[in-house]
Amino acid sequence: MGEAFQFHMGEYRASIPCHLRYSHNHMWLQGDSHVRKMGFTDYAVRLLQDVYFLEWVVDVDQKLVKNQQIGMIESSKAEADLYAPFSGKVHVFNDQLMDDPSSINVDTYGKGWLFELESAFDSSLSADAYLGYLEENWEETQRKIKGQYN
Amino acid sequence: MAGKLTVVLSQGQSKSPEKRNLEEDLVAALVMDSDVDVSLVPHLYDLTEDHSGLLYLRSLKKDFVLLSWSYPRAAHWVLDRMGVKGNIGKVLLEEEAPDEEEDFSPDLSSGEEDDESDKGIGALDIPDRNIYSIDLRTGDSCETVLQEIRRISAECRVETVSIQPVLTPESGVKVQNVTGGVESSGAEMSRHLQETPRRWYPVIDYDRCTNCMECIDFCLFGVYGVDVEDRILVEQQDSCKKGCPACSRVCPENAIIFPQHKTPGIAGAADDLVSGLKIDLSQLFGAPDAMQLAAQERDVELVRAGRQPPGEEKSEREDLSARRMNLPKDDLDGLMDALEEIEI
Repeated sequence: MGEAFQFHMGEYRASIPCHLRYSHNHMWLQGDSHVRKMGFTDYAVRLLQDVYFLEWVVDVDQKLVKNQQIGMIESSKAEADLYAPFSGKVHVFNDQLMDDPSSINVDTYGKGWLFELESAFDSSLSADAYLGYLEENWEETQRKIKGQYN
Repeated sequence: MAGKLTVVLSQGQSKSPEKRNLEEDLVAALVMDSDVDVSLVPHLYDLTEDHSGLLYLRSLKKDFVLLSWSYPRAAHWVLDRMGVKGNIGKVLLEEEAPDEEEDFSPDLSSGEEDDESDKGIGALDIPDRNIYSIDLRTGDSCETVLQEIRRISAECRVETVSIQPVLTPESGVKVQNVTGGVESSGAEMSRHLQETPRRWYPVIDYDRCTNCMECIDFCLFGVYGVDVEDRILVEQQDSCKKGCPACSRVCPENAIIFPQHKTPGIAGAADDLVSGLKIDLSQLFGAPDAMQLAAQERDVELVRAGRQPPGEEKSEREDLSARRMNLPKDDLDGLMDALEEIEI
């Protein structure tokens, strides 16, 4: 996979491959055309842990606005609604994940891809910038997660 | 008076055949049971002041079992708001059980939850009787529910024999047992099923509510008020905007229930079913935070009602959420490592 940055989450080191670009809501983007494959970053997967269930609430080719809810996910440790990382439309969802989403855990940057999105990908981040973004927000994220246990 | 136990079935709002089947099976079995009286009312939450179902519920003076399609905590406080009060009877059926790993978050939660039940201002004028609330949505079979009703029926018989006069002195004059015309032998059933429109309004859990008044400040539709003792009150239920749960998100104690909301935490699920197990990571993936969401939801309703969303309020709200976020700063490192150790 080539070089990757490492982001320290406690003992765990999340891998952030240098050749990919990233969204602020913790997805990777592959390619440089107007249609790109996207999936969860190692960072997101680490927080989710084992994914049990994934559901999309939008259709292929439906026009999406950034931050619009597009689906939901449930894992061993968490549940979350999912939101469009960019405005655009989904060309195809990874059907393999619907029966067995475990690829998200096993092959995060490969078979665990979520969908192919057509978009202008405004404000996507380089690996470097994404790492900086993670560092900047890590304290706050920890506090929020910790807050949910109290 | 024969010590019959009253069982009230509050029908589901939807006419889903599955729900109706379970309801019919239960009623059919209960009608034949000589130890219980059965009554049917529409969905509890929808009952208006003048509905005969509500009048009937108010006429019940003794223990009763409520079968409804909502969380027991929600049902309890809906009844309380209607003036149908009692202690929470212990039901031995599981609430919608979480699937796995009950063992998570052992030492992660700091010891501040000790006396949580003492936190709220509590309900007033609770008569000495139990209301047993059974949630029909848990997927329990008809037979399981019936067994539990029989168990409760036995339990109540023992109690009423030993404690002779069941009436409570505290709330003044009480009319002796006018059990809505369902007191005789044999198979009896009373129905109070006039159509009701669907309603939408908040219900306060006074065991949690601290009377902080956040909700009355936040809601701009005049839903909330205070009673003569300055206790917070859902005063204008029907001024509430359908589908809007914003005040519930604002409540610091999670004391505001919208029984029909899809999120269990808002619909009145018990705490350990909501927050104990799973983290909500929605914000990580781009969801607005609770305060933003609450303001957004409310403002949509304001615009719909032709009014202007408040501009200056936001900063104040942000302060508030910042204050709330200001929990002791802990290192998640420990937490992440703890996650590691807990294998599934």
